[in-house]
Amino acid sequence: MKYIIMLLFLGMSVMAQNPHAHHDSIKNLEEVTVKNATKKKIETEMKMAVSVDEFLSSSENISFIKRGAYAWEPLLNNMSTERSTVTIDGMHVFGACTDKMDPITSYVESNNLAAIDIKSGQEGSLHGATVAGSIDLRRKSTPFGLQKKWNGAYQTGFEFNNKQFFNLGNISYSGTKFVADGSISYRTADNYHDGNNDEVKHSQYNKFNTSLGLAYKTSDLSSVRLDAIFDMAKDVGFPALPMDLWLSRALITSASYKQLFEEGLVRVVDTKIYFNAIEHYMDDTTRPENLVHMDMPGWSTTYGLVSKANLKRNNYSSEIQLNAYDNLSIAEMRMYPQDRSERTMFAYSWPWVTTRFAGLSMNNSWDLSDKSQLNLGGSLGVNYNYSKYVEFNWIFHPGAPQEKTRFLPSINAGYNLNIDHFNFSVGTGYGHRAPSVSEGYGYYIYNSFDRYDYIGDPNLKNEISYEGNASAGFKNEKFSIQGKINYFYIQNYIIGRILSMGSPMNYQSVGVKGYTSLDYATLLNMSANVSYDILEHLHWKGTLTYARGMDDKGGNLPFIRPLSYLTSLHYMYKNFGIQTSVNGDFEQINYSPEYGEDLTGAYTIWNISADYSFKINKVRSTIQVGAENLLNEYYSTYADWGNIPRMGRNIFMSLKLNF
Amino acid sequence: MKSLIYGIIALFVVTSCTIDKTDYNAEIGSEVPDNYEFKEAVSFTSGNYKISIDALNGTFYKGYNELHLKIVNTQNNQEISTSAVTFLPIMSNADGSKSSCPHEYNVAYDSANKYYSGYSVFTGESTTTVSWKLYISFTVDNQAYEINKDISVEKQSNKNLNMTAFTGKDDEQYIIALISPQKPTVSENPLVAGVYKYNKPTTPAGTFPDPTQFSYSEVTGYTLKLDPRMPEASMGNHSSPNNKDLTQQDDGLYHGVVNYTMTGNWTLNLIMMNQNGLILKGTVVPTDFTPGVEGVKSELYIDTLF
Repeated sequence: MKYIIMLLFLGMSVMAQNPHAHHDSIKNLEEVTVKNATKKKIETEMKMAVSVDEFLSSSENISFIKRGAYAWEPLLNNMSTERSTVTIDGMHVFGACTDKMDPITSYVESNNLAAIDIKSGQEGSLHGATVAGSIDLRRKSTPFGLQKKWNGAYQTGFEFNNKQFFNLGNISYSGTKFVADGSISYRTADNYHDGNNDEVKHSQYNKFNTSLGLAYKTSDLSSVRLDAIFDMAKDVGFPALPMDLWLSRALITSASYKQLFEEGLVRVVDTKIYFNAIEHYMDDTTRPENLVHMDMPGWSTTYGLVSKANLKRNNYSSEIQLNAYDNLSIAEMRMYPQDRSERTMFAYSWPWVTTRFAGLSMNNSWDLSDKSQLNLGGSLGVNYNYSKYVEFNWIFHPGAPQEKTRFLPSINAGYNLNIDHFNFSVGTGYGHRAPSVSEGYGYYIYNSFDRYDYIGDPNLKNEISYEGNASAGFKNEKFSIQGKINYFYIQNYIIGRILSMGSPMNYQSVGVKGYTSLDYATLLNMSANVSYDILEHLHWKGTLTYARGMDDKGGNLPFIRPLSYLTSLHYMYKNFGIQTSVNGDFEQINYSPEYGEDLTGAYTIWNISADYSFKINKVRSTIQVGAENLLNEYYSTYADWGNIPRMGRNIFMSLKLNF
Repeated sequence: MKSLIYGIIALFVVTSCTIDKTDYNAEIGSEVPDNYEFKEAVSFTSGNYKISIDALNGTFYKGYNELHLKIVNTQNNQEISTSAVTFLPIMSNADGSKSSCPHEYNVAYDSANKYYSGYSVFTGESTTTVSWKLYISFTVDNQAYEINKDISVEKQSNKNLNMTAFTGKDDEQYIIALISPQKPTVSENPLVAGVYKYNKPTTPAGTFPDPTQFSYSEVTGYTLKLDPRMPEASMGNHSSPNNKDLTQQDDGLYHGVVNYTMTGNWTLNLIMMNQNGLILKGTVVPTDFTPGVEGVKSELYIDTLF
């Protein structure tokens, strides 16, 4: 089967091998880069063929709430997705599931991404109002006029624990006037097995993803580009939830125009209009234990505009971005009575909530000297909400306004200093965010973690974040060490609190919680990274992270990562590489019973993998074999929804071909 | 190849089925008949005068009926607005016993709307053994006219206009009839009900129909404590917040607020208290959430459905 695809791609690449000398006096259109902490390749230390989730989890300020094997919810700086902006090439996309079964990261695939930009705190305000920061999933986009016109890659692999089989292919064409990028992928997995070799039921998934990008150079200095991603997940189990996913689909499209300027202050203007539509249908028919059968479809449609300009003059550079979008989120629930001839019970969990946002953001940076740099940024956004069926919201909040407009300002400042082998930075930020659709307008959204039905409050105040961050590091040829710390003081911190009124609607639920604002909450994140080249080809790395989140009464916030560590060794010999890592969390002492958490024990996981690179004709190939959780430890982490156990020993193998 | 096939299948699926969004207006209307128009339900002729009675949908239903009466001089087509009109519905049972139901006996003229405005809360449907008859009198030019006619009372298919009749702890006969909302929504619904009491005759019966034997009145100053819950067992005695007990307003009717959190069957559990806070009927219902077990109803309740 897969060989046919391989042959297909091979054939294309052979055809494209005609050497064609090509000179373009104008710089490549894709050349403009902005200083970013970017992860370059979509692969981790341990694994070359990873899912987007696995890749993100290798970043030290990302952790995950896991409800199964699929669609993990990324937490940035230990804050959930309401507090961060997750974008695809700057485009805002909003999940259509009230239970967060579809974070945006679940609608892309690793083979259509070039990089993931993660910015912490208000530095991430370029893409819109945020507290935690921003995660921008950058799509692949091949530059014009590459020496090698056709490029492609094909990855396949198998993971034994859950019989995951995947095929990922992508191909690109780079002409002087025309560029095309395409990718297609399919993953399928059965239920996984935990460390006791017990099957974790309802943890299967199937995901299909394809993308296409076409760019045309309209002049020496300008180009247009059309992009589309289609993603479909079907029959996805969520073992931690009382229901699964029958089908989710996303269509993410954009058209952009880019203009370069050879002279002057403004160097690039890139304007994009976009549209995306997501539909998400849950399914509880595979769970006979459910007392009530429910349909829970959700839809999210977004139109938007993102326009950015890069400015540069002498030692000053700046990025200005205009964001505007209109999102409509709809979620329905229909409960079926035991006697199906009786009347079904219907309500909206998102009563047709429109969110409109327009914001202008700016990041400026001055190179004060060779050694120091000053960054100053800010943004001002207007956020408008409209609830079509506001009568749903009135049940708990009589007289709440149907429309609400909020102003969301943000500023941030930072200073970097590099002296010899040392580097230091300090920064501070201030920013507002508007409540999410669920926090503002959600209606009886069942949270299976603390087993409460959640009610949104349209009158919630903006969450206001004050943050400070600092880092210090040392680096020489063989050794590097870097310590980072950030601290958030978040006023009007939005969280669910038990309501004394109302009664649960979902039968598993024990009560009703309303989103309310705490006076404040604080969050501290710390990390230390060390790397040391023991020998020329033997590298050691170590990471230690710690976080602490507290509410205004000194109680613990939920989903805060305990002290955790990662240490890895990487050895290379000619074309052969071997790496091993040990990672784990300490006991979660600071857990929050109020939010359904219990004490999660410590665990340690040992992983190992080996790879070999070779060339067949002109095809660069890598084969990798490895094992995750080699000792088959039975564990569950602090952020595993309902304490579902993680995967036990997982042997994986993969093959990657580049041509 | 596998992925190619899946890809092709996927593309077909894309262009085909999706679940449609629910049409909310159709959804909340699906169980509720749309009876908003007053049409003639019955008409009488006496001498030169024709009396017509308009009711919603041109039908008398069990429960509360708002009635619009018109008297027209058939000679010159003039509407008569100055008459003293009385209205008395009488129900005959199989055993020959006769009773009435809450009604407006002296029907007053509403000059703004140009009709005589009254109401009748029919307590039963017409059957082969139960029949209803209207007795109407009016006076024009000092001449009294008395007429009567059999009518048919139909089943009320809109459960939001249900009624209940019971005997209170004070040994009086009461009737509670829902008047509004006819078509509830998932929201805060203003709830209007009429609360009526049978006035036991203090004098022996005169010539039939003697209105003193068939007298009802709106009770004044009572309170209906409200606790709405979903009766469906799987809903586990689900309730809603922010409901308001029903109290009497200037129109004589009892007004409160019921919040329906979703469509479906609901039970309005009631406790009726008199002016002194004495419970005349109704019991406090358990508030526990009991998934799979139907909640206990108050001894005084009215079911609704939308």
